Amino acid sequence: MATTTRTQSGVAQKAPSAPLSPGEMALNAARILFLGIVVIFTMFPVIWIISASFNPTGSMATQSLIPANVNSLNDLLVNFDSLLNDPQVPFWRWIGNSLLVAIISTILSVMITALGAYAFSRFRFRGRRSLLLTVLLVQVFPNILSMVALYLLLLQIGPYIPFLGLNQHGGLILVYLGGAMGVNTWLMKGFFDSVPRDIDESAMVDGATHWQTYWYLIFPLVRPVLAVVALFSFVGTFNEFVLARIMLSDREQWTLMVGLFNFVSGRFTDDWGKFAAGSLIAATPVVILYMFLQKYIVGGLTAGAVKG
Amino acid sequence: MAATGTRARSSPPEDHVTRAQGSDNTLMLVLRLGGVALFAVIAFWLAFNVFQDGNPFLSITLALISVGVIIINLRHDLWPIRWMQPGLVLLALLVIYPMFYTVYIAFTNFSDGHRYTKEAAVELMGQTKYLPEGGTSYAWNVFRSEAGDYALWLTAEDGSSFFAVPEQTLQPVTPNESGDAPYNDDGIPATLNGYTLLEGGERFRALNDIQDMQFGTDEQPIGIKSRNEAGAFESRWVFDAAQNAVIDRETNTPYFANDSTGDFVAADGTTAPLGYWVPIGLQNFTRIFTSIAVTGPLIRVLLWTFAFAFFSVLTSFALGLSVALMLNNTSTGARIFKSLMIIPYAIPGMISILIWRGMLNPNGGVITTTIQNTFGWAPPWYTDPGWAKAAIILVNLWLSFPYFMLICTGALQAIDTSIYEAADVDGANRSTKFWRLTLPLLLVIVGPLLIASFTYNFNNYLLIEALFQGGPTMAGTAAPPVGHTDNLISYTFRFAFGSGGSRDFGFASAIAIFIFIMVGIMTFFQFRLTKRWEEVN
Repeated sequence: MATTTRTQSGVAQKAPSAPLSPGEMALNAARILFLGIVVIFTMFPVIWIISASFNPTGSMATQSLIPANVNSLNDLLVNFDSLLNDPQVPFWRWIGNSLLVAIISTILSVMITALGAYAFSRFRFRGRRSLLLTVLLVQVFPNILSMVALYLLLLQIGPYIPFLGLNQHGGLILVYLGGAMGVNTWLMKGFFDSVPRDIDESAMVDGATHWQTYWYLIFPLVRPVLAVVALFSFVGTFNEFVLARIMLSDREQWTLMVGLFNFVSGRFTDDWGKFAAGSLIAATPVVILYMFLQKYIVGGLTAGAVKG
Repeated sequence: MAATGTRARSSPPEDHVTRAQGSDNTLMLVLRLGGVALFAVIAFWLAFNVFQDGNPFLSITLALISVGVIIINLRHDLWPIRWMQPGLVLLALLVIYPMFYTVYIAFTNFSDGHRYTKEAAVELMGQTKYLPEGGTSYAWNVFRSEAGDYALWLTAEDGSSFFAVPEQTLQPVTPNESGDAPYNDDGIPATLNGYTLLEGGERFRALNDIQDMQFGTDEQPIGIKSRNEAGAFESRWVFDAAQNAVIDRETNTPYFANDSTGDFVAADGTTAPLGYWVPIGLQNFTRIFTSIAVTGPLIRVLLWTFAFAFFSVLTSFALGLSVALMLNNTSTGARIFKSLMIIPYAIPGMISILIWRGMLNPNGGVITTTIQNTFGWAPPWYTDPGWAKAAIILVNLWLSFPYFMLICTGALQAIDTSIYEAADVDGANRSTKFWRLTLPLLLVIVGPLLIASFTYNFNNYLLIEALFQGGPTMAGTAAPPVGHTDNLISYTFRFAFGSGGSRDFGFASAIAIFIFIMVGIMTFFQFRLTKRWEEVN
């Protein structure tokens, strides 16, 4: 259930007028020190990876925080150059694969789930409660637990429907879609529940069908919320790694995460510079997006979505 | 179509009245039923083929799904379910079926050496060819094309000759007639069909390339036996139904089928290269509980799985709550600070984990090097189990405290401030207010999320696998190696997908069932807390 948290701004703000006692000043100093340490802890890896992506040595062991041996702008872009122009590294293709998989599965899963959630929200029918509970129950078992069975499923379907087989993006999308119903139905049902039923009823009185009511009235109303859900679903799929690594075996078919992982996966391989540059390209848009959408994230989190 | 009440009343949950929707127009009806028919045809066709491949479970699932879809679309009173049928179909095929199939696999010996049904295994072994002693034998000459492809001129003992190209039927030829002159002493032409005869030293150099090649088709395969002799390949393994055994014709040894273990076993105990897939009852489960090599690490893995999940949630929640408490105001500084704190949450988890892995690397990782240079000693993250575990908790703290900071910020704002005023009147001090008021109230709100996070970390495969691959390795564990930081799920997948050793899907599935049960129990408590069961309406 989407429990709306009531914002009461300035709750803990103290009256600023009274002068601070020595005890309070010490407490404030401790607080600032603590927050300072947290900031360093949080930001250090981020700064480090940014530095690494511009560091021309491209090796973890010789990296310094301020890139050394930089004589020109081109030196700073060595990693990006080798990442984007190396024929052995189909970086653009990986990005394309990731986008393809994430966009298709997001659109399909939001469409499918919204339909189901609307029906759960508006219609009363036999078996509704047990269906809802089934959906709720099933979603708690992570699908990587069934990974063996999923792998075999694609293996067995593949010979007959090639684009849904192993090493195919269609197969991976299919696997992602399987979990979609479980994850978002409850969240979306909450959204639909918050739209007044009077809207449906007046439309029906005017002779609209359920479908017309849904498509022309309710769906446009919840579209902004669905857009946010879709965005998180997109980011989640784009970042997914475990299933993609199992299902996709060819370098050309890899998604971006699988490709990036491969730069540093071996215990002794050190494509640190390429990994850093690729990570920066992959993470920056998402980070900016999250910063802009902070308030929606909090809403989604309290509704029970856990980052996967 | 009966157009009874087309409207769903806004009604309390006990209203289970079903209604038909009477608003289908004919075109929509035709389109919908056409779609259903197409879906059913494809599903049944797939079910049929999968059944023939030896997976009746998938076949039955597909058939049930399509029967379900047909019923949903033909029965008027099931119209609301039509709205959710795409989701339900996917749920059935990709979530529910795999769960049941996992259970089934757990009761079988399905693994790398036992991947196929008995018939398929026998057929596959039949593809292994050998050159029997005393079989048909030919004298051979070798030809090579411009492109480097080889062909053989075979002369049988009765004098008949054949021209053999890989994957083509043998072509009868006649000495001194086929091909182009000049012919050599044996009547073999210098060129034939674009191939050139190789003689003398060239012939023997070619031997290197062709000694393992198969000429002719699979029905009549020919291979090189020796420097002068070629012969007809025959299947090395032949199934003998009377003995229920495969015979190794090279040594003439029968390997008897043992239908309870899925192996072909000879009298001296050796097994044939391929076994087959059979139900083996509870063996995978008894193996979990009895075999010491497995049970020893399993208990340690289980304890660490719980410890990891517990400490991850505890540390992240503590830090997240502390930060949220300190920033519980709307000043610009607090807002900027929170925006910065979101960054770890926004970076794709796999990338963050690999960054940490690089920074902790003993050979030049920045954290290790810095500590080394400052104190002359650095924690052996990669080799010491204790430090490896500490590092994992630390990395998970970094990954997940922003999440708790965000939800605690939200939850703190939801707490009614008037209770603090009442506490002030009673003279409660700061820490009393926190422990007696804030924390209990907060736990009511975020408690379910804490359990959800515990469950998530209980199954946190990505962190464990990507950071240290479960290492450092536990001494004395058999292949695949078990690491000190392996949790249940990474341990399981080492069996299922691990690169070293043979992949044992059956055993991995048995552990997966174990995890299913654990998750089920934790979810039960979560639901008890959230009272979600009662809320369903």
